[in-house]
Parts: sequence; structure tokens; C-alpha cells
Amino acid sequence: MSTAAPTAPLQGGSPALRIRAIVRRHAYVQKRAPQRWFDVMVWPMVDTVIWGSIGKFVDQQGGAVRSGAPYMLSGILLMHVVYQSNVSLSTGFMEETWSRNLLNFMVTPLREAEYLAGVILFGLARLAMGLTFVGIAAWLLYAFNVTHAGWGLVPVVGVLMLVGWAISLLVIGLILRYGSGAEILTWGILFIVIALSGAFYTTKALPAVLQPVSRVLPSAHAFAAARALLDGRPMPWGQLGAALLGLAVFVPLCLAYLLRMLRVFRTRGYITRYS
Amino acid sequence: MQDALVARGLVKRYRRTMAGDGVDLTIGAGERVALLGPNGAGKTTTLLMLLGAIAPDAGTVEIFGHPLPKARSRAMADVGFAAGYLPLPERLRVGELLGVFGQLYGIADPGPAVAAGLERFGITHLADAMATELSSGQRTLVGVVKATMHQPKLLVLDEPTASLDPDVAHRVRTGLERICEEHGTALLVTSHNMNEVERICERVVFLSFGCVVADGSPADVSARFGQPNLEEVFLHLASEEDR
Repeated sequence: MSTAAPTAPLQGGSPALRIRAIVRRHAYVQKRAPQRWFDVMVWPMVDTVIWGSIGKFVDQQGGAVRSGAPYMLSGILLMHVVYQSNVSLSTGFMEETWSRNLLNFMVTPLREAEYLAGVILFGLARLAMGLTFVGIAAWLLYAFNVTHAGWGLVPVVGVLMLVGWAISLLVIGLILRYGSGAEILTWGILFIVIALSGAFYTTKALPAVLQPVSRVLPSAHAFAAARALLDGRPMPWGQLGAALLGLAVFVPLCLAYLLRMLRVFRTRGYITRYS
Repeated sequence: MQDALVARGLVKRYRRTMAGDGVDLTIGAGERVALLGPNGAGKTTTLLMLLGAIAPDAGTVEIFGHPLPKARSRAMADVGFAAGYLPLPERLRVGELLGVFGQLYGIADPGPAVAAGLERFGITHLADAMATELSSGQRTLVGVVKATMHQPKLLVLDEPTASLDPDVAHRVRTGLERICEEHGTALLVTSHNMNEVERICERVVFLSFGCVVADGSPADVSARFGQPNLEEVFLHLASEEDR
């Protein structure tokens, strides 16, 4: 056994270094977990084929006032913005619970915000990959080019990313409080929000009883704005403003819930579930 | 010199048990202390409160003057923690996971510290092994490397040699002793191996029903309970908890 001299003593490092460490940790997992590539490559492709073909079928029946395929394809592309940002953050956290790694992190200088930042940063890379796959598939298979909607889509994508992250904060809070049984809500809440947001249809098509719920969802306004842009209309600033207003309420509420559940997690000693 | 750890009046009540009932504990810089007690005495809960992973119902904790939970991040920079029961993250090779934890502890280029840590515990051959493919003894050794490669001023170990064969347990003990001697690292360790405790630690703290019932050198504590050694003190306290 050697007594090789370690490197110089430290002062805990910087937040940037710790965030980088979390990005690295998740990059290793992504590299070695085949199922993680399903989320990034396979599901986006499958969704594109399903919804693109439905849209094309509607077109072929000649019953639609507008062409269905572009609506469906832009819907699936934008749905994947919410999906990827949500699933990347939620499953990133769940990876720590599955490998009982939470305690390992909790006894390092890593702060909760730094952890979230690291997983979100890595999630952005996954999002870029997922959207690239959907975009290329839609272009190659259905000759649909989403960039025709123009730069106006950028704020729409931003709103949808924030919605995805906010849902994740809520889900992580639920997992901290209720344990692994709450993991299913990662997908459950996401699909409820997507259904109520009218990713593939206007929210007027929803049952009347659900329409008031959809009106408070920022994602519903974002999808509506995207459809307007696809129709060649100018940026619907009213929809965008309503989406931002919704976010201003939705994101702090989800964050507050997460922080509250983190306190409960520490107070009730739930870390022992994962150690 | 500033104390490594100062805990005052730690209380933790779970629904049916009292895991901490006013625990006071001070560990001086470089001091080696064992936290002992029968199963269910509150050792692990106390350790997790000292590390900020569990919030006490009452009481305070300071690590090198940094109060928890407010200055937890700064405090943890000086602490290393390993537990015999704690798994390593999946899907990472040993070198990779040590690199990640090295960066979490502030080592910008963790390569040399990782190599030195693996060498110290004689496991350089494991650097490319997947963490999930390790035996329990190898996993413990890697966990100890993870806890020590940033040269912590306080090392907290929860049953580090549990379920290890004598050879690996000896390697862990020897490595820890060297680290403590070379760097003046304070040590807080729980263990059910009383021989190990008497060898490594200069002071023992016995917990029973969440309370500190004895605090002193192994010889003093044994004498206080009228027992020949720590093993007998342990059995005496365990029999009291069973009553």
C-alpha cells in the first residue's frame, strides 16, 4: 500500500465546477443506458410517424379545412420540447433514487440549485438531440419544415421548456414526499398537461368542462401561438403574454412545493428510504 | 484550534422511536471518536443529523464553525463520508465516479487525487471496473477513497468495515490511520467491532435510547461500567435496551 501524496487541500470548489460534475455524471449514464436513447431517438421518431401519418390521412380524406399534417407535426415537435425537458429533469433525479445515490450527494458541498442546474443543462443537450431527430424525420418523411414558422417559435419553445421543468419540480417534490410510488406521475402529469394544452388541436375542441382548465395553462397559449405562426399570421403577442403570466404563477408555485417537500424530506428523515 | 464538530441538544423523534434525545457531541480537530451503541440506539440518525441529511427537531450543529443547515455547502467541503451500506452510482466506472465526486469536492482536475486514493488503498486495478461489478469489500474501499481523496478535515464513517473479510477490513483500518496521522484528520466512526474501535479511536461515545450514556477513553468507559472492555460494555447496554 502506498502513501502517495494527494493533491493540495481544497476550499470546496465553485458552483460551476459542481454543476459540471453533475453534467458529467449524467453524460456517463446517458452513454451507458440504452433505454435513455429511446427517449431521445426512438420515441420522437415513432411519434413523428404516428402523428404525421394521421395528419396525412386527414388530408387525404379532404375533410379538413386546413392541412392536417403540418399541425400534427408541429404539435409533435413542440410536444417533445415539453416532454424532453420534463423527462430529462425528472428521470435525472430518479436516477439518483434508483441507484440510492442521494445520500452520496447530500454529504458533498453540492447545493440543490446546482444539482438542478446540472441536470437541466444536460437535459438541454438531450432536448437538442430529440428535436433534431423529430425535425429531420418530419422533413424527410413528410416534407415538413418547421423553420417555416420563423423565429417566432423561439419564445414558444422557451415557454414550453419552462412548463416541462416546472412539471418536473412538482414531480420531484412528490417523489421526495411520497417515495418511488410517485415516479409514474412524471409521465402522468405530463400527458394530462399536454392533452389539456391542445398540442394537436385548438382548445376549443376540448369538452366544455375542461376548457377553463386549459386557459390557465401556459402551454395551451404557447401551442395556440405556434399554430398562428404556422398559419402565417404575425406573432400573437396576447397569447405569448398570457403564457408568460401563467408561467409567472406556475413556476414559483412548483418551486415552492419542491422546497417545501425538501424540508419535509429532511425533517422526516426520508433519506433512509434511499440509503 | 477550532473544533471539528460541535453538536448541542440534538433531538429527533420519529413516530414510534426517539432516535435522538438531547445529544451533545464535540469532536476536536484531529480527534478520533467512535459513536457506539446497540442497533436502534440512534447512531445512524445522529450521524445523518451531524451531516445535515436529516434535520433535527431541536439542537444545533456546527462543522469547523460553519452552522448547519445555513452553511452546509461550505461545511461539507471539509467533510468526507462513507458508509458500508451505501451503494455506488450505477453505470459509472470507478475512475469516472471518483472523478465526479472529486469535482463535487472542488478538485478541478481530479485525476491525480483519484490515482493517489486508489493507490493508497491498493485498488488501482479497479479504476476501469464498473462500480456495480464490485464485491462488497471493493465497494467499501472505493467508498473510502471517495470520502478521503479531497483530504477532508473531518471523516465520518458509518460501519466502514461491516461485512468485510479480515484482510480488507485491515486494509481499510490501516489506510484510515495513515490518513488521520498524515493530515491530522478528525474521525467519527460507528462500528460494531469493538477491537477495531479500541485500536483506531482515542475516545468513545455510547448512545442508548438516543441519549449519550458514556463519553471518554475506551479504558475510562469500560471502568465506569465495571466491565473489562468495550465489548462487555456494549453487551451490557444492549441487554438493558432489550429489557
